[in-house]
Amino acid sequence: MILVGIAYNTLVVAAGVAAVGFAAGVVGALCVLRKRALVGDAAAHATLVGVACSFLITGRRDLATLLAGALVAAFVGLGTLVLMRRFTRTRDDAATAIVIGVSFGLGIALVSGLPAWGYAESAGLEQFLLGHTAGLTASDAALLAGVAVLAVAAVAAGLKEATLVAFDAAFAAASGWPVAVIDYLLVALVAVMVVAGLPAVGAVLVTALVVIPPVTARYWTERVGSMLVLSGCLGLAAAVVGVAVSAGRPGLATGPLVVLAAAAFFTVSFLFAPRRGWIAQRLAAARMSREWLQDRAEHARDPGGMPPAMFPDGEPHP
Amino acid sequence: MMGGDFTWLGPNPGIHGWAMATAAVVSASCALVGSLLVVRRMSLLGDAIGHAVLPGIAVAVLAGGRLGGPLVFFGAVAAALLTVWLTQALRAAGGPAEDAGAGVVFTTLFAIGVVIVAMAPAGTHLDAACVLHGELAFLPFDTITLAGLPVPRAFASGVVAFLGLAVAAAATWKLQVFTAFDAAAARAAGLPVAALTMGLLAATAIATVSSFDAVGAVLVVAMLVTPAAAAELLTRRLHRMVLVAIVLAVVGACLGYLAAWRLNTSAAGMIAVVLGIEYAIAAVIAPDDGLLARLAGRISLAWRVTCEDRLAEAWRAEEAKRPHAPAATLIESCGAWWLSRTGQIVRAADGPRLSPSGRREAETVVRSHRLWEAWLGRHAELPVDHLHPPAEWVEHHLGAAMRQRLEAETGGRDSDPHGREIPPEA
Repeated sequence: MILVGIAYNTLVVAAGVAAVGFAAGVVGALCVLRKRALVGDAAAHATLVGVACSFLITGRRDLATLLAGALVAAFVGLGTLVLMRRFTRTRDDAATAIVIGVSFGLGIALVSGLPAWGYAESAGLEQFLLGHTAGLTASDAALLAGVAVLAVAAVAAGLKEATLVAFDAAFAAASGWPVAVIDYLLVALVAVMVVAGLPAVGAVLVTALVVIPPVTARYWTERVGSMLVLSGCLGLAAAVVGVAVSAGRPGLATGPLVVLAAAAFFTVSFLFAPRRGWIAQRLAAARMSREWLQDRAEHARDPGGMPPAMFPDGEPHP
Repeated sequence: MMGGDFTWLGPNPGIHGWAMATAAVVSASCALVGSLLVVRRMSLLGDAIGHAVLPGIAVAVLAGGRLGGPLVFFGAVAAALLTVWLTQALRAAGGPAEDAGAGVVFTTLFAIGVVIVAMAPAGTHLDAACVLHGELAFLPFDTITLAGLPVPRAFASGVVAFLGLAVAAAATWKLQVFTAFDAAAARAAGLPVAALTMGLLAATAIATVSSFDAVGAVLVVAMLVTPAAAAELLTRRLHRMVLVAIVLAVVGACLGYLAAWRLNTSAAGMIAVVLGIEYAIAAVIAPDDGLLARLAGRISLAWRVTCEDRLAEAWRAEEAKRPHAPAATLIESCGAWWLSRTGQIVRAADGPRLSPSGRREAETVVRSHRLWEAWLGRHAELPVDHLHPPAEWVEHHLGAAMRQRLEAETGGRDSDPHGREIPPEA
């Protein structure tokens, strides 16, 4: 009965954003495994400049044009990071923070200035700050879904190499793999997903789309393949929940809702996941100390034989 | 138009003076705290805290606090400490690594803050635009009366925050320096490093919240990190770095505000842009390893190598009793011109010859070259035809002391492995 009230357009848009959520989860999982979780943040904050410049240059505001500009700006931001690493002694963390702050400031200055400079039709660009799916059309959704499919295909094609580099970069380099090239490709893929996530989640929070689902998935599995798929599914679910909730509340941006949905999945996993979850770990710790206390009590009654091991699997304390 | 008067600022320049003063004082606070964040490699934590104070501020405002008031400061510090505690708790529980954990925590807290702000009842002094880029232009209209003078509330609270942070930094200065350069040694020496770190994070939250209504929660990272990183390029002493960062921050805030007024756009955005330009200039002109200094160093080295190679070539030609080889490239021609200009090569009846001063220079280079070949031939077991290239590199970088050691280690031979004489030390 509820579904009847939802317009066809909303469903199509939700499907497109869901595809982006899936792909961002998959790409982000590789990135988190490579311990580069926050690299997407610099790209994300730089995208706003690209959106504004692309509107200024072409005068058009269809999604493909704006996102193309955003992608160029994301690469310029990441390229600035590479140049700063090469030519200054500013350390990586400060360089990332500078790119985030300065590029976002330029983006804010451009987006705030455009109406005053006579570009009245630029209204709406500020929706890329926190994400708004209400204005998306079915063809926009198709574009986003296409990007998502290509990104997942790219991950599938390079999964072995990316996994190798993520788990043992030194071994990969010694075996002759071009580690730097694989890293650059991975970061480029993250930039693509950040840009694809921009319309729904916005520049400020889109990095959550490539960080929270992978970190959540890690609680449930020990295998790369299943972590990637699970992370993608969590991203998809968060996107769907965010779009659905924001569809009913026009004053609320989509991005924070997507992030809160992802954070809810994270919280549940952190608490309740088997083995790695907080409760499971507390129970395991309590069981371990209880068994050890029992063993010690038995040993005190009958002091023959070995004293109780520290670990329940029978090995003596190392 | 921009002459001596400030009519271009509009009918009420005092308003802009107050707005600029507010921007300057809050960015000075950020630069002070940011310098310590940058040297302790905690810049991204500063970014995370900038985002994460939002729910603390929003809840405090809903509970009746005012921006610039004590309740909001308390809420922001609580949210910042919550961020750090959550990140560390996740990691301690076997969860994600530090950066991924911070990524989860600060995006979640920021999202919560945005939702609270969006659902806040109308009339609350908070809106989404303020969260993202502040409302510097409106600040001068919210005043309190101090000594009979209406002073913008944000300016007054900014000054109090800056003075408090400056006193705290001065009181703990030695500890800060020790911890910044070797946290492990400071901990081993029994100093309260963990408490100091927590204090720094609380200070970050205070600087963030004092600049919140001027620049919002996202752009504060530019004010925290950019002037500090620029100052780090310009000087190598921590106390000078803090002072330079504060000066850069104040100049950037004023120029950014004026630029925004001229361009009719967001002041916070333009302040971030001007700070970025300051950083870029610092990266170019930094005295030790700025781009210009590196370029000048490379050019002067290349020039010295060219001139010394020409001299050594001339010396070898005269040793073999053949005429000097002509300059093959443009830079060699320039080197030859310079050498004859400075009188190291003079024109004789049978072509160019080394002058006595040029001969001394050339003998030093050839002596370095042949001593190195002799040393390599004796100690490195390289075939004879592999000795020349490394010597060709190193001949420009050996000093008199090193030549003396080489001579001693080659047993005082007077010829190189090719059988040619090693010229004596000039």
